[in-house]
Amino acid sequence: MALTIISLMKQVPLPSEMRMGDDGLMDRTKAKSIINIDCAYGLEAGLQMKSENPDAKLIVCSMGPPSFTVSLKTALSMGYDEAYLLSDRKLGGSDTYATGLAIATMLKHLGYGKGLNEDFIIVAGRQTSDGDTAHVPSQVAENMKIPQGTFIETADLVDGKVHAKRIIEGGYQMISLPLPCAMSFTPTGIDPRRPKLSGAIKARSSEITVFSIDDIGLSTDHIGLGTPGESGSPTIVSKVVTIKSERAPAKMASGHNESELVSGFMNDFKAGKNTLEAVEKKAKKAKTRDEDLRVIDFRNGAKGIVTWAEIVKGQISRPSLELLTPARTLANELGNDTKVTTLIIGKNVGDLAKELVAYGADEVIVVDDDRLEEYRILPFSEVFAQVIKKNNYEIALFAATTAGRELAPRIGVKTDSGVTADCTELLIGEHVHRNKETKEKVVYAPILESIRPTYGESKLATIIGFVCPQISTARAGTFEVPAKDDSRTGEISSFEPTLGEEEFVSDIIETVIGEGGMQGLFEADIIVSGGRGTASDGMQMVKDLAQALKDKGLNAEWASSRVMVDEGVAEYARQVGQTGKTVRPKVYVAIGISGAVQHIAGMKESETIVAINSNAKETIFHNADFGIVGEYQDIVPELIEKVNAGFTFGLESK
Amino acid sequence: MDNISTDVLIVGGGPSGLSTAIALADKLKQKGEERKIMLIEKGNSIGSHILSGAVIRPQVFKDLLTTGEFDGLPFDSKVGADATVKLNDDGGETTLPFHPPYMSNGGNYIASLGQVCRYLATLAEERGVEIYTGFAVDSVVYDSDNKVIGVKTKDTGVDHHGVKQKNFQEGTTIEASITVFAEGTRGSAVKTVINKLNLDAGKNPQIYSLGVKEIWKLPEGSVEAGSVKHTFGYPLRDKEEFGGGFIYGLSEDRVAIGLVVGLDYQDPSFDVHAAMQVWKTHPYVSKILEGGSVIEAGAKTLPEGGWNSIPKYYADNMMIVGDSAGFLSTPRLKGVHLAVRSGICAATAAAEALGKNDTSKESLSRYEELVNSSFIYKDLYPVRNMRAVMQDGMVVGGLKMGVQLVTGGACLMVPETEADSVTTKKATEFSEQPFAERFADKLEYDKKLTFDKVTTVYYSKAMHDEVQPVHLVLNNEEQFNSSNINEYGLAEASMCPAEVYELHTDKKSGAKSLRMHAENCVHCKTCDIKSPNSGITWTTPYGGDGPDYNMM
Repeated sequence: MALTIISLMKQVPLPSEMRMGDDGLMDRTKAKSIINIDCAYGLEAGLQMKSENPDAKLIVCSMGPPSFTVSLKTALSMGYDEAYLLSDRKLGGSDTYATGLAIATMLKHLGYGKGLNEDFIIVAGRQTSDGDTAHVPSQVAENMKIPQGTFIETADLVDGKVHAKRIIEGGYQMISLPLPCAMSFTPTGIDPRRPKLSGAIKARSSEITVFSIDDIGLSTDHIGLGTPGESGSPTIVSKVVTIKSERAPAKMASGHNESELVSGFMNDFKAGKNTLEAVEKKAKKAKTRDEDLRVIDFRNGAKGIVTWAEIVKGQISRPSLELLTPARTLANELGNDTKVTTLIIGKNVGDLAKELVAYGADEVIVVDDDRLEEYRILPFSEVFAQVIKKNNYEIALFAATTAGRELAPRIGVKTDSGVTADCTELLIGEHVHRNKETKEKVVYAPILESIRPTYGESKLATIIGFVCPQISTARAGTFEVPAKDDSRTGEISSFEPTLGEEEFVSDIIETVIGEGGMQGLFEADIIVSGGRGTASDGMQMVKDLAQALKDKGLNAEWASSRVMVDEGVAEYARQVGQTGKTVRPKVYVAIGISGAVQHIAGMKESETIVAINSNAKETIFHNADFGIVGEYQDIVPELIEKVNAGFTFGLESK
Repeated sequence: MDNISTDVLIVGGGPSGLSTAIALADKLKQKGEERKIMLIEKGNSIGSHILSGAVIRPQVFKDLLTTGEFDGLPFDSKVGADATVKLNDDGGETTLPFHPPYMSNGGNYIASLGQVCRYLATLAEERGVEIYTGFAVDSVVYDSDNKVIGVKTKDTGVDHHGVKQKNFQEGTTIEASITVFAEGTRGSAVKTVINKLNLDAGKNPQIYSLGVKEIWKLPEGSVEAGSVKHTFGYPLRDKEEFGGGFIYGLSEDRVAIGLVVGLDYQDPSFDVHAAMQVWKTHPYVSKILEGGSVIEAGAKTLPEGGWNSIPKYYADNMMIVGDSAGFLSTPRLKGVHLAVRSGICAATAAAEALGKNDTSKESLSRYEELVNSSFIYKDLYPVRNMRAVMQDGMVVGGLKMGVQLVTGGACLMVPETEADSVTTKKATEFSEQPFAERFADKLEYDKKLTFDKVTTVYYSKAMHDEVQPVHLVLNNEEQFNSSNINEYGLAEASMCPAEVYELHTDKKSGAKSLRMHAENCVHCKTCDIKSPNSGITWTTPYGGDGPDYNMM
């Protein structure tokens, strides 16, 4: 059977237009649409595989309103053979779970994913710029019951298997996947090709097949807008609020040239930053609920919070420890002796269990298996699902690391629950729902409120779900690691999962970890970060400044904004921002960074922020304590000289 | 090789190309002939690279469109109050009690030419014309007798050094019986054809102006839609810089403003973009803009040489229409009606040529006949010396212009027309006060009323793929360094309205060098026209790159 390459693609508003509205907010109605950047890389990856396998058939699928045909036509111009669009009003309001289900149903309708011995490869984008969850590829893969590789940069077909380069924290892995499989691509691989004129001419006369949900035999049970207790997506957006800056106005350095500017800045820095008049936060309004309302405890006996302890280089990763902070808070809010359980999976990892207890876990479940030495999504998601099904937890939390971001959605499909990505706040609340038919108002409580910034707008969305476990991933760096208390006690047990051979069909060929990377960024006291404005020398001065600080004995690292990663100047592991890392160093030096909301989201918790930019109007200055307006090529060398002469941004060398 | 063919290929989706397409489709339909008409456009959509004032004379569209289609033209508003104002250096102004010859706008409409083009494109597609946007021409294809047989689109997936990347896509060669060049001002493909086939022999060099335009949103009720104001004087000096400003009232409290300056100036530091910012600070202009904010900006050149600068606009298998040929009336400040008319003439000639299966230059000379009997001739011939005498300034030039009105265009003492690339003086030879000094106190931009070039680029939404060969080519790097940089002080940095060219001075050695930011380019073509020593050739970047104008 000939190989089929299936590309999943979404059309999104043009990111550069997302900030164009008069009020500074995104106006989606006027924004032009493009193929989501990551999806375009997926499309190209498919075309690259086709060039090595000329007999392969290329099909592209999307789900969305009829206007998506524009982008599907572009995919056809690029060289795809067939295009399919799932378009139905009843899909409106679908969350990622519903989207994954709907797309998988369409693919099955097209004849894929019915048996295991099929030659097809699904290529998709890592995540969309308007959703930023990275869930759907995992959810489609689990729905199709096929292996997956997420965060793939490049992939080749070698002897009937896919060899793919998977980007992980601080480096990459070469993995091997059997066919059929699904992959999601980062925008760091081979740039998407421009359509050829001859391709556009061909696409002009090609038909796009449009399916309704009835056409593919999909019911409304789990898709569309979620209605608690009835049907639709397992999660809904319950609230959206605007984020307000909590930083006092920046002190802007004055001077006529770079040396005056830099010494002006140093004087400002010594004098200290501006401070806001402390506005007392209003005490949380005591919840006033109509006593007569019927309270529905939709948990149906599900109880407890489970978290995953990710192991990196034999140690529990810092983001996994951070997770114990919100887990503890949630358990306390739920009361009723709710326990925090942490699952640890690996080979000879029993010793780490005590550590987890010291950091706050009430129970630790250890899965020790030689085959589970290295993280792989198939067996790990299966183990997790078995533990969840056995113990019936109400909440499952993961750190939003590379692994966490693919594991949570795959587990979600196994347990029929939705997942909220990249949360920055987790609370217990309640949701008042009015039944459309009976008009009865009921209260769903207690319910997990997962709060996450939404892209393009400086807004926070609160997501809730009505299916247990309620699953969320928490952005690394957002919560503090709880204080370690070696005297704490907890119950440590082991679990023996049932794992078939089919869980071990994909292999890790090798893992290459570079210097620094993720851990370095989280632990650095000072981060020098470069944006678009530092492209001219490939961020060399940014690196030089970080090195100068290191040479002074400081714990310094360099990082970048998303564009520099997209440009290939910096690796993904160094990306700070909503879709990269959230960092909170003592000092963050933003150079040539405009201050897109997504970037701010990843660094605003830094203690002190210094911004250097040639454009005084850039948003970054609204989020900084100290500002220098000037060309980076002029300012940074001056700053490096000062560092060499002993200026350490007020930090102590070690 | 990636090859396709068509009967007629139109390069460029502006008013002249779209009119050619519409008129040709109609004429072929009348004759009952099935022919393939293909139009390619380098902008990512029709209208995205269109920038014009624009006050449009509507009559010609009646000849192009059905009555119903004519009524649907998306003009913004009918011209109402119409004034010409002299701005004085002291901040005052004098309104002329009469309109200069040809400048009356009764019956005309203010419009976004981009919107008009989008509308025309839908009408062309309804007529079966195939329009492909986002494809740029790389080169013109000739047969062994040097006759044009089509064009090749750009290769994509090539890095800065010309090395093919994994996503390399070879350009498509389009062969056509007739190729119509409708690229607009200073067309990069047609320029090579004119040179190769010597189509400008015996003609004056084409000369140009650069217009910088902004659209502002003003407080409710402060704009009279349809009001037209033209200014001359401040900040331009009579005899030195020819041009003026425009302020057109649009619907929805918007106003289109701009400054247009002839590129025949001598001052190497003269900067049209900066002059436009200075112009806005004149109380007459700043009062109008009070409380408003800019919503779109951009820049484009326009061919102003008139009749004497128009090259031979046809050859075997090819014709040139619109601004690419230089069909623009400088005294009227208008070219759209001529572009449309030239498209209709070219379409008529093409339909006849296809009908008799003869696309030779003899057959296509019909195009010239049609132009000469149309109002293009009537509009341009009598004023053929108009722009040239304006080198004498508004006073002497104005007098000579008056003479021409009586004589039907003949005039003694018409200054010789030189290409804009040779009029700039070397920094050391320019003895007057340079622009940058003249307005030193005005060149700090407040970012409310006045903006730097990068902000203008932002509001043009220009984007370029970073992975591609630099599309602005230095013709002779050695000469560029020794002359353009060291003798002219990089006049390109001043002339370019988009900060593509930056003079970099090494702090330690003091050595001067060029830093190029090709990604800022708004496709105005000024550098190709005005660079001393003809130092720069503007070539197309990847199709779809460049500005993304909406209402310009």
